[in-house]
Amino acid sequence: MSSSLHSSNPTVGKAFWATLKRDLKIAIRHRGELANPLIFFLLVITMVPLGVSPSPKTLAMLAPGMLWVVALLATLLSLDALFRSDFDDGTLEQLLLSPQSSYINVMAKVFVHWLTTGVPLTLVAPLLGVMMSLPEAGYIPLLLSLLLGTGSLSLIGAIGAALTVSLRKGGLLLSLIVMPLYVPVLIFGASGVRAAIEGFAYNTQLAVLGSFLALAIIAAPLAIAGALKMSVNN
Amino acid sequence: MAWQWFHRLGSPKWFYEKTTAWMPWLLSISLLIIISVSIWALGFAPMDAKQGNSYRIMYLHVPTSIVAMAAYYVMAIAGGIGIIWKMKLSNMVMKVAAPIGAVLTALALFTGAVWGKPTWGTYWVWDARITSVLILLFLYLGVIALQEAFSDQEMADKASAILSLVGTVNIPIIYKSVDWWFTLHQPASIKMTSSSIASEMLYPLLAMIIGFYLFFTWALLSATRSEILQREIKTKWVKQALLQKA
Amino acid sequence: MPMHPVRKQRLMIVLFIVVFASVAVGLMAFALRQNINLFYPPSKLIDGEAPEGVNIRAGGCVVPGSILRSKTDLAVSFAITDGKGDVTVKYTGILPDLFSEGEAAVVNGQMQGGIFMAEQVLAKHDENYTPVEVAEAMADASAKTGTSHQASCDGMDMSGNKNY
Repeated sequence: MSSSLHSSNPTVGKAFWATLKRDLKIAIRHRGELANPLIFFLLVITMVPLGVSPSPKTLAMLAPGMLWVVALLATLLSLDALFRSDFDDGTLEQLLLSPQSSYINVMAKVFVHWLTTGVPLTLVAPLLGVMMSLPEAGYIPLLLSLLLGTGSLSLIGAIGAALTVSLRKGGLLLSLIVMPLYVPVLIFGASGVRAAIEGFAYNTQLAVLGSFLALAIIAAPLAIAGALKMSVNN
Repeated sequence: MAWQWFHRLGSPKWFYEKTTAWMPWLLSISLLIIISVSIWALGFAPMDAKQGNSYRIMYLHVPTSIVAMAAYYVMAIAGGIGIIWKMKLSNMVMKVAAPIGAVLTALALFTGAVWGKPTWGTYWVWDARITSVLILLFLYLGVIALQEAFSDQEMADKASAILSLVGTVNIPIIYKSVDWWFTLHQPASIKMTSSSIASEMLYPLLAMIIGFYLFFTWALLSATRSEILQREIKTKWVKQALLQKA
Repeated sequence: MPMHPVRKQRLMIVLFIVVFASVAVGLMAFALRQNINLFYPPSKLIDGEAPEGVNIRAGGCVVPGSILRSKTDLAVSFAITDGKGDVTVKYTGILPDLFSEGEAAVVNGQMQGGIFMAEQVLAKHDENYTPVEVAEAMADASAKTGTSHQASCDGMDMSGNKNY
């Protein structure tokens, strides 16, 4: 490559913003799809009192774990679409060929996924907490743990999405390979909420979730970029 | 040349021809060890003072657990080598290690459950080690499913290599998380310095572990060999090798 | 002289990784100093550090001579100790075979009025395996010297920090 090409390169920040803005715009144009994980979240939580018991005591006991498990499943369902349309129309190939490090582009795409699924799921979780008779002490930890945890869920899940994007029927397979990797996030997310309800401090669990998120930010984009290159090159 | 063996390993033909002579030896020695140690362990090793005879399932449980874990590292390291050096053979090793590891993990879980009932009073507890071994099984199943999903072999290899490497990063994290969460499982009995297990019980256990490692090596090599034949079916040497057998 | 753009980009990524790696390590180091698994040794149960009416786990050595079985149903009560304090455990149900005096047990349940109401009792078996004759010989020897038979609990970490 000639040096003139290099000097016309946008900076790291600009490249990140460009991908971010583009993906956000696309997400906002498909508003209907944005609501799907939220509706799923709501529907499954509605099933719990109907299927288990409407007794507030039982629901309160189930609430932290149930809210976390269903938020995790909702994230999982939204993953398949993460790279799908960009893969189909060739955008992904262009993105990987661009002189910017694929690390930055991948980070921007996953960040948008978190903004459009993780954050909305976190925001509706307290409402669903009311439906699940979540005790008062549980709301703040639920919000904080989901906010930190869904970031890791998006990053880890994107690895699975990148691995299966070239497969026509990747949905179920995606869940199969991603779910075992979600275990630590689920354990600390739900146990933080439970600890708060039972009157314990929950800062340890939040610290662990934050640590997972920082680790995922470092390592996951490498695996995602590798997997995307594999999916695009063949 | 120091690296010559490494490059030679990249050649499936060289590997196939080299290992032909080892196969019957590996199989017979490992079976001999496993069968004779089984008789030794079941019939002659002393009864445990507290657990009675039920501790004897240890002779199946401990080796399968150790080898199941080792199989994951074999799979992940082979996957890593496949990505970095694009070595055909290591991709094949990675592919065949997954089902072998999955079977061993399932066996370790089953024997653990059978042992858990008389000692802990329950078949299944959500204990740290048990839970992480269960997740190890899921990771194996994921790699197998991913392998099966791609029709293109090269893509299948790359995808499962990435997944097994990601899993390697996750195994210690998963283990630590569930460990923190709750554990009932006893600490490891075999230590480098002093063992907390009587020597008349320890020796059959160590022999059994060696036997299982040898059997695992045999299973891995023989599965790799049939994978080589399948993938290289169009080459001249495979046709000749098959004709010679017939 | 301005920095080469590609090098600048790489430098930024390296800095980014270093920052987040330190955040991960720092948070983990903070978390590792806390006890979050709700596991309590008996001494902490009696000094009131454990909350009442909340599901917790406790573990300790079953005090020899403390096991009292009901004559009519499966109710049983026993005491567990960590050497610094004992607590009484009440349980209704079948105890595991390996549950016995001087052995370690893990109980799940709640503290109620200074008594641990267990929902589940599990025998935590140690990593020691000894043939019957050897164990008998050791018991004889300790009986002669007057030391009590609590071998199984001696080597175990009952502090609840490491292995539970």
